[in-house]
Amino acid sequence: MQWAIASAAFLASAGSATAPVTLPDLWAIALAAFLASAVEFVEAFTIVLVVGVTINWRSSLVGALAAVATLALIVGTLGVAIVQWVPIDALRLFVGVILVLFGLKWMKKAILRYSGLKAIHDEEAIFEEKMAEIRARGETVAPRIHPFGVALSYKAVLLEGLEVAFIVITFGSSISKEASASGIAFAAIGAAVAGILVILAGVLIKAPLTKVPENTLKFVVGVMLTSFGTFWAAEGFGYDWPFADAFIPILIVIYLLASYLLVTWLKQRKRSWMATASTQRAAITAQEEEEVRP
Amino acid sequence: MKVLKAIYNFIVGDMIILIGVLIVVAALAVINFVSVFAPLRGITGVVLILAVLCVLTATLYREARGNR
Repeated sequence: MQWAIASAAFLASAGSATAPVTLPDLWAIALAAFLASAVEFVEAFTIVLVVGVTINWRSSLVGALAAVATLALIVGTLGVAIVQWVPIDALRLFVGVILVLFGLKWMKKAILRYSGLKAIHDEEAIFEEKMAEIRARGETVAPRIHPFGVALSYKAVLLEGLEVAFIVITFGSSISKEASASGIAFAAIGAAVAGILVILAGVLIKAPLTKVPENTLKFVVGVMLTSFGTFWAAEGFGYDWPFADAFIPILIVIYLLASYLLVTWLKQRKRSWMATASTQRAAITAQEEEEVRP
Repeated sequence: MKVLKAIYNFIVGDMIILIGVLIVVAALAVINFVSVFAPLRGITGVVLILAVLCVLTATLYREARGNR
């Protein structure tokens, strides 16, 4: 978000405070807000989408709607004072740490499964098998609300929604004191268009995503949660990532590569332990046979 | 106690991950809020990434040993 605020400051300095605000100035504000908000909407929508595909859509949408309601309450109560009253860095740190915890938990499970150290037939897998049987019979089960999914979706939408609110207010107010109301309105238009476009794009990619194997999706979710969590937690400490929000895909690649290396390492360890165990078993059997011999 | 355990299981369910991440956050708080460590603030991101990977490796190693 830092680059967004910097570009708002640039826009503010480009048009001098005394010059009258023109329509192109306002559209420039709308465009800048559109671009900055699109990044935040993509981040929030990614989490909503993965929760929807991997857990269930009911939980994901309940979390997202609850966050939108909370946002409406906060923005409605505080108005433009939100910039002064909401400790966005503390919120980023809190949400970031929670996402890292969630993400590591999911990554750990997925890596253990990929390396063959965790049985696929655990309770979750048995539940999934039963669900598949029910679906195969053509019956449907109403998806239950999953607190984990609701919480994930809620936190992501609340944090990113607050960032969008910050963008709209800082961009809108940066134009001039007299025209700040018009500036905020145009910035809000830019942000709203970005939100609608991101949701439409998400609806289009939802169907292909459902064809990806569930375990793979859960692994990807773990990587994404850890990446977003790392990014937000560091931002919470006031750290500016290189390339700003564009560093998130780099974080995803880092964690994917690390996971690949960890799976390879665990597979090797498993093979070496199994080889040692079979050698020991063979030695014990040979010893027993020798003892039995007259 | 049951409530705390339920929250712990819901959020993380792994003591190595929980303690590891909390130690990292505490270390980063020291780096970022104590002026003596100000020169280290530029490596906050790198420290966090490496720490997360170390925590993940540690918990996987423990699980692997348990399975052995």
